[in-house]
Amino acid sequence: MTIYYVQLLTNGIIAGSIYAMFAVGLAMVYGVFKFINFSHGELITWGAYLTLMFSSPLFSLPLYFAVIPALVITVGIGLAQDFFVYRPLRQSNPIAILIASIGLSYLLRNVIRLCWGSDLQTFDLTLSRGLIFWGIYITKTQILMMLSALLFFGILYFLLTKTLLGKSLRAVSDNMELSSIMGINMKKVTCTIWVLASVFAGSGGILLALDTNLDPMMGMNNLIKAFAAVLLGGAGNIWGALIGGLFIGIAENISVAFISPDYKDFIAFGLIFILLLFKPRGIFGIAGGVR
Amino acid sequence: MLRLENISKRFGALEAVNDVSFSLENRGISGLIGPNGSGKTTLFHLITGFYKLDMGNVFFLDQKISGLAPHVISQKGIVRTFQQTRVLPFLSTLDNLIAAAPNQLGENLLPIFFKPLKVAIQENENTQKALSILETLELIKLKNSPAGDLSYGQQKLLEIGRVLMADPKLIILDEPTAGINPSLIRHLVKILKNLSDQSIKIFLIEHNMPLVSELCGEIFVMDSGSLIFSGTPDEIQNNERVIEAYLGRKA
Amino acid sequence: MDYIYHILIICLIYSIFAQSLNLELGFTGLYNFGHIAFFGIGAYASALLSLKGVSIPVAIMMAMTIAGISGGLFSIPALRLSGDYFGIATFVFAEMVHLIFLNERDLTGGPMGLPGIPRPDWIGSGITSLPLFLVFAFFAAFATFLLLRRITNSPYGRALKVIREDEFVAQALGKNTFIIKTKTIIVGSIFAGLAGALWAHYITYISPSDFTLQETILVLLCVVLGGKGTNFGPVIGAFAIIFFGEFIRFIPIPSGYIRFVAPFQGMVYGFILIVMMLKRPQGIISEARRSSPKNA
Repeated sequence: MTIYYVQLLTNGIIAGSIYAMFAVGLAMVYGVFKFINFSHGELITWGAYLTLMFSSPLFSLPLYFAVIPALVITVGIGLAQDFFVYRPLRQSNPIAILIASIGLSYLLRNVIRLCWGSDLQTFDLTLSRGLIFWGIYITKTQILMMLSALLFFGILYFLLTKTLLGKSLRAVSDNMELSSIMGINMKKVTCTIWVLASVFAGSGGILLALDTNLDPMMGMNNLIKAFAAVLLGGAGNIWGALIGGLFIGIAENISVAFISPDYKDFIAFGLIFILLLFKPRGIFGIAGGVR
Repeated sequence: MLRLENISKRFGALEAVNDVSFSLENRGISGLIGPNGSGKTTLFHLITGFYKLDMGNVFFLDQKISGLAPHVISQKGIVRTFQQTRVLPFLSTLDNLIAAAPNQLGENLLPIFFKPLKVAIQENENTQKALSILETLELIKLKNSPAGDLSYGQQKLLEIGRVLMADPKLIILDEPTAGINPSLIRHLVKILKNLSDQSIKIFLIEHNMPLVSELCGEIFVMDSGSLIFSGTPDEIQNNERVIEAYLGRKA
Repeated sequence: MDYIYHILIICLIYSIFAQSLNLELGFTGLYNFGHIAFFGIGAYASALLSLKGVSIPVAIMMAMTIAGISGGLFSIPALRLSGDYFGIATFVFAEMVHLIFLNERDLTGGPMGLPGIPRPDWIGSGITSLPLFLVFAFFAAFATFLLLRRITNSPYGRALKVIREDEFVAQALGKNTFIIKTKTIIVGSIFAGLAGALWAHYITYISPSDFTLQETILVLLCVVLGGKGTNFGPVIGAFAIIFFGEFIRFIPIPSGYIRFVAPFQGMVYGFILIVMMLKRPQGIISEARRSSPKNA
């Protein structure tokens, strides 16, 4: 019987590591620019679909190659979002930027619908054969997901703590005005934030698509989980978002043992609600900062 | 009228206000001075309910008001201004004042439909009151301009006007003369003295020393979150501790 | 001709929906991104009641009440949150409600929805039913317009704007902002419920897929485009958006390309939202800068 729970836990960690990848970008953007990017989900979707495009006829690149141009373009989309829409609106009424991000998300999502249609698609894979470790079923793709997440977060940690760029990032999220007065290159930092957010979201999307499927709504559907994770960890706190993502993944999957799987999403929703009510600063009580 | 007992507030490791106790005399104008960062504005936020006290109590007319919501405290007769002017830029000057009238029946939904006459009458009264206040403030010509178009000094005056609409018992002003030109300051001083003569108690934060000495009967001095001295303007001027607080300790 | 009636009816229903959102978003500054939830609650409530035999006017009234109560219950926890967070909460709430519509098969018919919702008796379902429904919708929309205008032009409406501009000042002026905001959400939800109920009785078939993020964006667009914080703006916005949406159908499109129409529309909507925020955030009709109730 415990094997069942361990399986659920494993599924949870797998799902959670992807949620964490989605949440980190959202947290970073909120931490520095102080707004919730409703369009973050589309970076997820675009990463996945672009990879599909590059690995399908016309380009037919092998998968691990295809991710490179896919991520590059995804980063381009992220930077373009900032340059054309968010930067001009930085000084405006906060509702303007929120509405603009909703509009952006709608636009990007419909471009995907236009190009690829609304039906589910999948990658043509042999990677997804399952393995059994000590009674736990896990696919190669899923192992890849966890390892990638680990790698990404490891690199992020290194970036933030050991490099000058990383330290600038942390300074800016703490106090943007002061940082720019102190001579930190705002353009570079802004760029970095969007690159990181896009890479994490896009990669997460690719991994998710490898494990499940592609669907124009995949970004939006996971955005809420990302919100929940960010809130759990304390909006703006990257490492909180990581833990938040894991927590939600695990909670969701364990809940399957108790409630109908149809309501699995409810967990994330309910969590958000409860958190917002009782602990709007997140479990860790730190409301900001790219620490 | 206003009594503070052992008020404390901290933000993380910072003791913004540390065990402050004093009582305002019932008449005249009282002042609160101190170097930047001494906790004056925080104290005002604590009195008016915008911050929650960590410790201590505030009494207004012998009633405990600590812990009440800001709008409740306002309804009890304590009206305040903020350090940065907070007029409503998209409403007209006149509307800024009318909005400030207390106990508006028309601000509840049902009376709008079931007691339209009463609402209209009250609205009319409030409008007349607002117009007369604008006259006093010499802002009447600007009554229909969006408040955002007013100069900084005019906006500060408008804020005073807003306070007046509320028929306050105690007015709390946070740096009312900061950033306005000398002639407007004289105008403002005249208004404040006038109010005081009408038995409205005024408590203000100011950095303008000569002004404080001219206006205030009693002055409280804060430094680093604590109350370090209180007395008359003469006593303050000659007090070493106060001078030290402003100029820093001698090396 | 029938088709014109159809478009006009949808425009009128959406104008009610948009005005109700405008009260919350445009006047009070509440970022309600989940307003569709109350539209949906109104629709399902009225549909279910009338399917059980309740007469339609009563069903609609009850649906409005239920929507209003839901709004009230929602706002009690949600209003503890500020700005962005409130927006997320409304968003999440709409998703939760959608999930419930989808999964509670016994109650809502699940993904299959509720077919066969009756039209009011005097409208019937014959040839004259469309023009009659148009009259019905028009009166509902007109009444809504008058009522909401009464509210926004009153001291209450002014208080809403004060709260929108600076909530601290509102509190410092003695206004109980929590209660005022709650009342606003309740009123907004009541009228969203009305719009939903009308929708249900017009289309006569509803399903969870009618009440998704897509519709939230649509109504947001109506408010933003038309002019938030004005009385007539959302009405203009609703007509503009719905006309644009339906207009597309008149353009002869080769059948191979039909599947591109919906996404293309979506792109245009998203684009409009972005451009409006960049270039003219106040909307087509901009809020008069000196907005006083009809007195001074």
